[in-house]
Amino acid sequence: MISVADLLINNKVPGNFFTPEVYVHGDLEVGLLENRQGDRLLAVPETLIQAIYSGLDKETGQAARMVLFNCGKWWGKSFYIRFSEQMTGYYGIPLANLPMAEFLQALQECWIAHGWGKIDLDQTYQNRGFLIAKTWNSAFARLAPSQGQPVCHLEAGVLAAFFSQLTGKELHCVQTSCESMAADCNRFLLGLPQRLEPIEAMVPNLDHDAIMQELCP
Amino acid sequence: MNPHIAAIFDEAENRYLKPEELKLITQYVASMPERLDTYRSLRDRELEIMETVAAQLQQEMPQAPEALIERCLKHALLMLRYCALSLLTHDETLVQRRFVDWVGPLTRIYDTKAIDAKLYRLLNQQLSKALTPKQLGCLSPSLAFAQEAILSTASMNSASMNSTSMNATVGN
Repeated sequence: MISVADLLINNKVPGNFFTPEVYVHGDLEVGLLENRQGDRLLAVPETLIQAIYSGLDKETGQAARMVLFNCGKWWGKSFYIRFSEQMTGYYGIPLANLPMAEFLQALQECWIAHGWGKIDLDQTYQNRGFLIAKTWNSAFARLAPSQGQPVCHLEAGVLAAFFSQLTGKELHCVQTSCESMAADCNRFLLGLPQRLEPIEAMVPNLDHDAIMQELCP
Repeated sequence: MNPHIAAIFDEAENRYLKPEELKLITQYVASMPERLDTYRSLRDRELEIMETVAAQLQQEMPQAPEALIERCLKHALLMLRYCALSLLTHDETLVQRRFVDWVGPLTRIYDTKAIDAKLYRLLNQQLSKALTPKQLGCLSPSLAFAQEAILSTASMNSASMNSTSMNATVGN
């Protein structure tokens, strides 16, 4: 016999934690943006993103992508901790126990609420040890100077750290398609560093499907 | 708040409202006591209504997995609460934004259309017993919209995704 009262958590039914109208609060007078828990949110103007790209290029040249990737990893670690705390607090269960469907939907809504565009996971190659994250409308892709190869190094770092924390394994992330190169979306391949190592060299020459063919013939 | 009413208040910034605009606000205010009354009834009787629905649902679908029935009941609770909220705000669009957009994909993934359809029928029966015809009239538009939206999104192709973490496979 199901008890409806037992289905409620503190008399609440979890819905979409990241509904933008509830999640984001702004105080124009003091110029602050906060999330529903009162944590500060940062609005990043396009000019700043462009300045980060050009500044890093001038200061570090070729190393800019590595700097961005590592910054993304720091960002991703904090992002995971916050996301995990938010989900645990909201659903009343550890993130690892959250059903996959709810986890993915919450992540998608979280991505949207923070203005990062859209995200989806492609689990086609999951049993081969790879996960593909796809993103759309990335500001980091749109505002990056054209380089003839994928440019979302920051997001790659974020995803590497996020999924490393989630799976408890050190994962690497390589971007295999990019909106800045007129691809339909940005694709990020996640897996163990040693398995992704040969991919790095393929990226400038092969498209996503060809890379996957090489990896999982 | 209802977007039409919010837009009227924006218009009132630098001019007096036209009679037809004031009429809309008058209708909103006049309907408020009934809306509040319906809201209170729903709030006070939610558990009793849903406990009955849960028992009947289990009786009618003994073969359905309990976890799926629980999931559908949770979604129905969420639906009732957002429909109740839309009574206060007079804004049915929030049912779409905050309920259908969230629960619709989950209904599809877990393929619960058959359970949901039966649950809605039982729920509507209980609501018609628990609420007065006037209260039911207040609630019906948003409730019917939510139920239709969920059942029609559930008709789209469903994919099974019942497993939990991806720890086991990614990175092997």
